[in-house]
Amino acid sequence: MSAVGSSIPRVDGNAKVSGAAQYTADIELPGMLHAKALRSPYPHARLVSIDVSKAAAVPGVVAVVTRDDLEGLNPHYGAVVEDQPVLAMDRVRCVGDIVAAVAAEERDIAEEAVELIEVEYEPLPAVFDVVEAAQAGAPIIHDERFETQAAIFREQLNLNAGGNVCSVFRAADGDADAGFAESEEIFENTYRMPPVQHGHIEPHVATAVWESPNRLVVHTPCQNAVGLQEQLARIFNLPESGVRVVVPHVGGGYGGKTHARLEPVTALLARKAGRPVQWMLTREEVFLTGRRYGAFVRMKTGFKRDGSLVAREVEVFYDLGAYALSGPANAKTGSYVASGPYRVPNRRLTTYAVYTNLPPAGPYRGVGVPHVAWAYESEMDRIARHLGMDPVELRLKNLLQEGDAFVTGESLVSVGISDCLRQAASGIGWRGGEEQVDGAREGSLRRGKGLAVIMKSTTTPTASAASVRLNGDGSVMLLTSSTEMGQGVRTCLAQIVAEQLGVPVERVTVSAPDTDVTPYDKSTSSSRTTFHMGNAALRAAEDVREQLLEAGAEALEVDKTDLEMIADGVRVKGVPDRSLTVPQLLRVKYGDSVGSIFGSCNFQVKGGLDPKTGKGKAAAFWFFSACGAEVEVDVETGKVRVLNIATSVDVGKAINPLQCWLQNEGSMLEALGAAFFEEMVFEQGQPVNGTLLEYMLPSMQDHPERFQSLLVENPHPDGPFGAKGTGEAVIPAVAPAIGNAVANALGGVNITELPLRPERIVAALGETEAGGSGKNQP
Amino acid sequence: MRHLITANVNGRERELSVKSNQTLLEVLRDDLRLKGTREGCSVGVCGSCTVLVDGKPVSSCLMLASNAEGKEVLTIEGLARDGNLDPVQQAFLDHQAFQCGFCTPGMIMAVKGLLNENPKPDEAEVRDYLSGNICRCGTYVEVMAAVEELTGKT
Repeated sequence: MSAVGSSIPRVDGNAKVSGAAQYTADIELPGMLHAKALRSPYPHARLVSIDVSKAAAVPGVVAVVTRDDLEGLNPHYGAVVEDQPVLAMDRVRCVGDIVAAVAAEERDIAEEAVELIEVEYEPLPAVFDVVEAAQAGAPIIHDERFETQAAIFREQLNLNAGGNVCSVFRAADGDADAGFAESEEIFENTYRMPPVQHGHIEPHVATAVWESPNRLVVHTPCQNAVGLQEQLARIFNLPESGVRVVVPHVGGGYGGKTHARLEPVTALLARKAGRPVQWMLTREEVFLTGRRYGAFVRMKTGFKRDGSLVAREVEVFYDLGAYALSGPANAKTGSYVASGPYRVPNRRLTTYAVYTNLPPAGPYRGVGVPHVAWAYESEMDRIARHLGMDPVELRLKNLLQEGDAFVTGESLVSVGISDCLRQAASGIGWRGGEEQVDGAREGSLRRGKGLAVIMKSTTTPTASAASVRLNGDGSVMLLTSSTEMGQGVRTCLAQIVAEQLGVPVERVTVSAPDTDVTPYDKSTSSSRTTFHMGNAALRAAEDVREQLLEAGAEALEVDKTDLEMIADGVRVKGVPDRSLTVPQLLRVKYGDSVGSIFGSCNFQVKGGLDPKTGKGKAAAFWFFSACGAEVEVDVETGKVRVLNIATSVDVGKAINPLQCWLQNEGSMLEALGAAFFEEMVFEQGQPVNGTLLEYMLPSMQDHPERFQSLLVENPHPDGPFGAKGTGEAVIPAVAPAIGNAVANALGGVNITELPLRPERIVAALGETEAGGSGKNQP
Repeated sequence: MRHLITANVNGRERELSVKSNQTLLEVLRDDLRLKGTREGCSVGVCGSCTVLVDGKPVSSCLMLASNAEGKEVLTIEGLARDGNLDPVQQAFLDHQAFQCGFCTPGMIMAVKGLLNENPKPDEAEVRDYLSGNICRCGTYVEVMAAVEELTGKT
C-alpha cells in the first residue's frame, strides 16, 4: 500500500486516547514554582509607581518581577515590530497588560501575593474603535516607533505609518478611477467583523528553567519554536544556542500560540527565582492574551450588467489591539486578496493595521482573509441578486483561472477554484433559478442556500529544514521543528518520508520541536507545513536514499540505477537474492555495521512583495476553497438551523484524506461559531464576556445536521507529491456562505456585521419591513 | 485546613490529605499525578476535566476533593485493563475521533458516563449529553461515529 494518499491512523493516537500524551502543564520539574501575574485594570494609563514589598514578604513567595527587573535586558519584543514590553514600562496600553508577576511555592500563594502588590496608575484617554483609532487626533498608543529585527518584514512591509497606524499595505493594478467610470453599476458597502477567541482548550502555559546564567530552557506549546528561541535570546542577551525551546504535545493552537506570549515573563521569573517556574494562564487571562483581529471593511465595486467585474476599491482596518505581534504581515495577507479570487482589471486595495487600547490580537486561522471574504462574498450575492443572475454563474464568470496574472503580478498556478465552487454547490444541492431567489417557506420558517469562494496565500518567502536519520535497524527518525497541534503533521510527514524511502509508516518516528536538536523552521502557521516541511522531509529522505543506493551499488557492483529500495534495504531490480539489508549497507559505508545514515535538506521558497509597488511573489502556493450552506431561519425568533454545509478545498494532493477532512471540519465549526454567536465584547476596553461561561464555543449541538468535506486534487508542481496546505483553506469561506444562505432565506436581506445573532436577524427584517433599509441597495 | 478522606481512585482505595479548598482536579493532577485529566476553563463548561464519580460524569474542576469521601473516582488512566484499551478508547482510536487530543480524555469519560446511564442513546440524546464537552478542533462527526459503533448502530 502506498503511504501517501491513504487515511492511515494518526501516529499519536494511542497516547491521546490513553491520556498518556504529555502536554506542557503535565510536565513537573523538580523544585518547580508556580506563577501569577498582576494585570492592568485600565485600558490606558501611566504607570506611576509599583510597590511589591508586601507581596515579596509573603511566606512561600520566591520571586517578584516588575519593570525594574528588565534593566540590562532588551525589554521589548515582537514578531514583526518590537513594541511589546516583557512587563509594563512607563504605561499600560490595555486591560490585561502585565504589570508584575510572582513566583511562589504554590499557586494559592502566588495568587495571594499578587493581590498585595500596590500600583498607582494615572488614567490616559483611550481609543477602542479601529476606525476612530486610525484618525488624526486619536489618543496615541505608542509614542515611539519600533524597529523590526526580521529582515523579511523590513523589506516587505510599510511599517510606522504614523499615529496609531502601525502599517499600511497597498496592492493595485489597472486604473481604478477609470474602471469605475466605465462601470455600468457601482455598489458600495461597509462590513464589520468582531474580535473572536481562538478557543484552544489548552490555555497558554510555559515552564522555564535556567540551567546556568547563559542557558535558558523553556517548555511551551508554541507553534513557532525557532521564532520563540530567537526572541528569548534577544530579550536576555543570549546567543540563540543559549535558549532551548521544547514543545510537548499541544492542546490546540489555531494561530493563538504562534508568537511569544507568556514565555518572556516566565523566563524572567525563573531567572530571578533561580528555580524552574511554570505559569499556566487562567481562561480569563487567555481572553486578554490573544484573539482574532476585529475589522472594518469598506468595499466599492464597479461592474457591467452582464456581471463582469470592472473595478474594485477596498479599504480594510484591522484592529491590532495594544501590540502588533504579526499584525502588519497578517494585514498584508488580507490586502492583495481583498478583491476576491476574481479577475478584476482595475483595483485599489489598501489594508491598515491599527493599534487600539484593546488586548492584543494576533494570527488566527485564516489571518486577514476571513474579514475581506465576508465583505466580497456578501457583495457578490448582492450583485447577483441585483442583476437577476445565478450567484454560481456570476462567480464562474469572474473567477481566476490557471495562469492568470494576479494583482501582485505573479502568474497563478494550481487554481482549482471553479471545481471547488461546483463541488460545494453540488454538495448543497444547488439548482440555481427561482429556488435560490426565494427559499422554501413554512409558517415562520424560511429556507435558504448560499455559497462563497476564497483564495489565500501562504507566508512567503520562508524556509523549512529537516533531517532524516536511518538507524542501523532500519528504523527512521525525522527531525523537524514543525509543531503537532492536532492538525496531523506528524502523521503526514511520516507518510511522506515512508513513501520516499519505501518503508512502512510504522517505522518512521517524527520528532517534536526541540531547538537543541531539530533544525530551522519558519513556523507552524499559514498552513505551510505540508508544503514546506513536506518538501524538506521528502528531500532529506531522498538524500538518505541516495546514500543507501550508492553504498549498495558499490557493494553489489552494479550501477545505482539498477537498484531499488525494499523495506529492509536495497536490491538489484528484479533479482530477489541480490539484496543488502541496512546493517550490511552501513558496513559498506562505514566499515562497521553500527551507525546511522543522515540526510538533510533546507527547503527555501524565495519571493515576497515590494512594499512600494505591492508586486512580486506573494505565495509559494495559493489556497482555493468554496463553501455551500443551507439554513432554515425562523423569522419570528431569528433562530437559524444549519441543515447542511459542504466545503471544498483544492488540496493539490491529499497526503492523508481523513486528516484533510478533520481540518476542514474544524475550520468549518470555528467559522460557524464566529458566524452565529462568537464575539468578544468590550465596554470601554473591559472584557464583558471574557470567560467560557459567557463566551460560548460550538458544541456538538451546534454541528450542522449534515457536513461534507469535499476535496479537489489539482497537483501543485512544487508540492510534495503535489500537495498544498489545507489547515485554514476553508475557514474564510464559511461565514459568507452562511451569511448568503441567511440572506437568501430572508429574500435578500443582507446583514453586514457578524455574528448573525437572532436579534440582529430580527432587527434586519424589521428594518426591511419598515422600508427603511438602505442596506441592500447599491 | 486539611481533611483526611478515603476514596477509591481507579480501583484502588486511597487515603488522601486534601485542603478544604482543593478541587478534585487538583488532587488528581497535583497529588496523585494523574495528568490525563486536564484543565481547560476552570468553570465547568469545557468538559476536558471530566471524570466519573460513582459512574457519573463530573467536572473535576468544580468538585471539592473533600466531597469525594467514600466515592469511586474513575479517570482516563483507570480505563485500560491488562494493557488493553477500554472499548470507548478503542472506538475513539478506530474513528480517529480527536485531533489535538487535549479534550479527548474528558470526552471519553463523558461517553463512558453516557453509556452507563443509557446504553442505547439516539443521536439527539448523544448530542445533548456530550454538549458539555467542547472539542475546538471540531471532531464531532467522528465522536458521534465512535458512539454509534459502541451502541451497535453501525
